[in-house]
Amino acid sequence: MKAHTRKILDKSFTGMGFMSVILLTLSLVIVLGPIFVRGIQAFLFFDTVEYRRMQLDLFDRGDPEEVKAELDEVWAERRFIYDTIAAFEEQVENEEIENSWEYPEKIDSLNDSLKALFGPRPDEPEPVLPRDRYGETRWDRAQQTFKLVMYKEQWDYSDPSAMGSKVLVPRIDSFRGTTVEQIFPYMEENLEKLMLPEFTFYWQFLTDKSHDIHFFGGIGAEVLGTFYLVIGTMLFAIPIGVIAAIYLAEFAKEGKIVSLLRTAISTLAGVPSIVFGLFGLAFFINTMEVSQSKSVLAGSLTLTLLVLPTIIRAAEEAILAVPKAYKEASLSLGASKLYTILKVILPAAMPGILTGIVISMGRAAGETAPIIFTAAVSVGQPLGLFETLNQPTMALPWNIYNLVTEHEAVDQIRHVQFGMVFTLVLLVVVLNFAAIVLRARISKKLRG
Amino acid sequence: MRFFLTCVLTALTLMSMSVVMAADKIVLDGSTTVGPIAKAFAEAYMKENPDVNISVSESGSGNGAKSLINGACHIADMSRFMKDKEFAAAVEKGIMPVAHCVALDGIAMIVHPSNPVKAITMAQIKDIYTGKITNWKDLGGPDVKIVMISRDTNSGTYETFEGLVMKKEKIVEGCEYVGSNGAVRGRVQSTPAGIGYVGIGFLDKSVKALTVGGVYPTKKSISSGKYPIARPLFMFTNGYPKMGTHLFTFVNYYLSPKGQEIVEAIGFVPITEY
Repeated sequence: MKAHTRKILDKSFTGMGFMSVILLTLSLVIVLGPIFVRGIQAFLFFDTVEYRRMQLDLFDRGDPEEVKAELDEVWAERRFIYDTIAAFEEQVENEEIENSWEYPEKIDSLNDSLKALFGPRPDEPEPVLPRDRYGETRWDRAQQTFKLVMYKEQWDYSDPSAMGSKVLVPRIDSFRGTTVEQIFPYMEENLEKLMLPEFTFYWQFLTDKSHDIHFFGGIGAEVLGTFYLVIGTMLFAIPIGVIAAIYLAEFAKEGKIVSLLRTAISTLAGVPSIVFGLFGLAFFINTMEVSQSKSVLAGSLTLTLLVLPTIIRAAEEAILAVPKAYKEASLSLGASKLYTILKVILPAAMPGILTGIVISMGRAAGETAPIIFTAAVSVGQPLGLFETLNQPTMALPWNIYNLVTEHEAVDQIRHVQFGMVFTLVLLVVVLNFAAIVLRARISKKLRG
Repeated sequence: MRFFLTCVLTALTLMSMSVVMAADKIVLDGSTTVGPIAKAFAEAYMKENPDVNISVSESGSGNGAKSLINGACHIADMSRFMKDKEFAAAVEKGIMPVAHCVALDGIAMIVHPSNPVKAITMAQIKDIYTGKITNWKDLGGPDVKIVMISRDTNSGTYETFEGLVMKKEKIVEGCEYVGSNGAVRGRVQSTPAGIGYVGIGFLDKSVKALTVGGVYPTKKSISSGKYPIARPLFMFTNGYPKMGTHLFTFVNYYLSPKGQEIVEAIGFVPITEY
């Protein structure tokens, strides 16, 4: 090959490498960007007076006096809207206006939309479910709901050859020429005074229990459950995995059985995670009966099977990478084989082993399929340490799926869903980052 | 080594402690239709009794029955009655399923709100799902191919639908099966030509319920039997729970005014006028 062809090839190769790095970064930004931007809104957002009332009621947070003063303030403003509607209703009932028959339905629809925004009036009986007790607690949601107060969503089916299209009809049009007409510009001008938005940092989202199935509150039970699962998995996986790696690297004599073992471990790494889930249900719960029903213990054992290949491989590679001279020096000084492994080889292999462990922690935290049948539930209490042995838990990956597909009000709790995804991604990123730092620090220490 | 020894020892102590610690717990599994009721009851009950841990999973009526038979749950949420086979399997294992009807439900036929079709008849639904009607044109809508969405065969909603509407005739191939009520609604929400069916607790503004045979699914039309695709929702226990236990109080929670109010607030039909 001529020198300049080689140069061109070389350059194009560098160029392609550079391109793929750029592509990778871009796709990361595209995937993670929205998660971070929307996820952070579960923590940092503009709340409304309804939020502060909810926090006081459900979590005992905030100054009761202050909240009461704020409530008095907003209801003084809201009073005008409700009074106007009530006066108009009376007029309608007494048939003092033209076409009074057509108004009750419109008033009902208006009242419903107001209830969604402001919550029930103080003189109404308290609804039984917390979700109906408060108006919009977030300013971004309040603005959306306010749009539905100002405009009525209707569908236009006038074209028979196609599906209908959405039209927004200003609600004010249905009340033209009546006293109610004035409340619409009034609300538009005073929306902030009606809701009192305020910037808030809701860090307790990470630790709070959910109220009324994630309508309010945080994801404390899920975060705790995920930690339990990860820690439980590591308790089983680290000893088994490292001991297996030591055996394979130091003791096993190459033969049919050992090569079969290796094949088995590699195959295990390629088994789809749902298979582990079903196996866990059939083996740990139905056959071994480690617990009566789903439990953190059964889930941890199942996840252990899932991460074992990763840990064994990482540990074996790390042990094999320790220079032979270390081992020979130790043995020549009269140390036993076990002593050599524990005191010389394992410490030298520690960075590699730890990396494998931390990466598999990330895997265990994020897997959904293995815990569907063995550990995860959609509603439950945060568990005490010993309850993990026989009780199921909520966990981030499963509850994200559950909230997005099975929740009865998916659209109203988008911020919770994104907050959960954000937390999970952050957890995995932090774990992987920790792996890198740990590895660097230990290898630096070992080098002296 | 000390680290690993600590790990193993901790694991062993944890295991040995498991026998000693047994907090009050109630495990529910089953129907995704009964799910919202079960979840709301659980939250309300746990608020009144913080020492009880009630866990709810939603995996479908069939799985709920299986769990109860295997002794893996205390209460099986079911949106249909137990089948003969399931009863036989339960009795064989020494489990006596007892039904508690917690609410009434109608199965609403839902379409995308942009769909101009407002009414449908039982025969037409059957024709759609058997593949005889394939275009919205035949129902007075635009010339668009119908996209059928159904629950999976493990679902009680599916079995009710199969029994009441399909009359045991097979759903045609090409129908899309999804795993929960929420997922059916989600699919219809994103598919302008879609049709699906969900429990009325899952109706909201994002989808449009059709009248079936001229009757709209409301609390009144369902409890009076006028709406044709209606059914009771059950919680099954193993035998009748012992009086005074949390299981007894919880499974009878639907009888309390608060329980009935919750059922109604979620959108299902309470059994009494409370």
